[in-house]
Amino acid sequence: MRSELASLAWLAVTLGGYYLLKPLYRKRPRWWTSPLFTVPVLLIALGLLFGMNYPVYIRDTHWLVLMLGPATVAFALPIWRYRRLIRQHWAALLAGVLGGSTVAMSSAWGLATLFGLSGSLRLSLVPRSITTPLAMLVSADIGGVPDLTALFVVITGVAGIALGELLLKYLPLRSALARGALFGVGAHGAGTAKAWDVGAEEGTIASLAMVLAGLLNVLAAPGVAWLLR
Amino acid sequence: MKTLHARMRLLDRRHPRLALLVQVLLLVVLCAVCEYVVRAWRLPVPGSVLALGVLLLMLACGVVPMSSLRRGADWLLAEMLLFFIPAVMAVSQHAALLRAEGVRIVAVILIGTVLVMTATAFLVDLVWRWRQKHHAQ
Repeated sequence: MRSELASLAWLAVTLGGYYLLKPLYRKRPRWWTSPLFTVPVLLIALGLLFGMNYPVYIRDTHWLVLMLGPATVAFALPIWRYRRLIRQHWAALLAGVLGGSTVAMSSAWGLATLFGLSGSLRLSLVPRSITTPLAMLVSADIGGVPDLTALFVVITGVAGIALGELLLKYLPLRSALARGALFGVGAHGAGTAKAWDVGAEEGTIASLAMVLAGLLNVLAAPGVAWLLR
Repeated sequence: MKTLHARMRLLDRRHPRLALLVQVLLLVVLCAVCEYVVRAWRLPVPGSVLALGVLLLMLACGVVPMSSLRRGADWLLAEMLLFFIPAVMAVSQHAALLRAEGVRIVAVILIGTVLVMTATAFLVDLVWRWRQKHHAQ
């Protein structure tokens, strides 16, 4: 009975913390104001104070994670809305998504090997650049741990906002297309939110690039699994 | 079918909150049905991706107009961060591993992300400039 109440309380704190802390990001969009960073920090702080038991925490909050499925389905609308943009820039988008995804997966694998990480940990790092619901699917497919991948995706997102901002300053990029794809392929949803701050065209391209990179990764997963085995 | 779409539009205008709920529910149901189909037929794609494909097809054929799902889809995409906060909390399950390997993991992610972003941006810029020159001639 007590654990059931605690479970509900954690759900309430997660929801409350999210809606309370979200306006902060809207006012000052930086990596350390993102709800992806602030809410887990709040939850961990409360967990240290009152004691957190993960199975109790996840019992009611797993409903939120299940909503990632319908959220993936919702990507159909931006794809359809921007079909003209896809048709117009398909070559550049395809090059960015294909090349970027290849670099993402091979750099994760290569760097992990270089730093002496191996096994399911290394596999969990491979799909970290794409959007969470799809990354978790790919991770399960290739033999990683989906929970760990979700965490790595989040770190990538938070780091990607800061790194992307820095790179835009120093890379000699001519097109909004390139600036958008940088965020969409490199830092999924978190980067896309940042790209919308840079400009509407950048944001649109970033959303598109994120979806396309995610889908490409899912479709490529069986092949990648075979390669890495 | 036409009157249904008209009703959805009316609902969207008159009761935006109720429309939002209905639209999100529709997407949840579509996703659930596709998850079931994938499991029953042992398809090699994830259910949510199949549902995405089905929805795209329906949009392309005009079976479902964008206006009758837009509010729900925008909401799901806007609140996506919320949905993966619980997934992040699984960190506590892997605390020992992260304490031992955390620095190396963060190094892989930081260096990797710089590589991915740089490669993607340069590739897109390259193709864009090439096409620009080509179309100009």
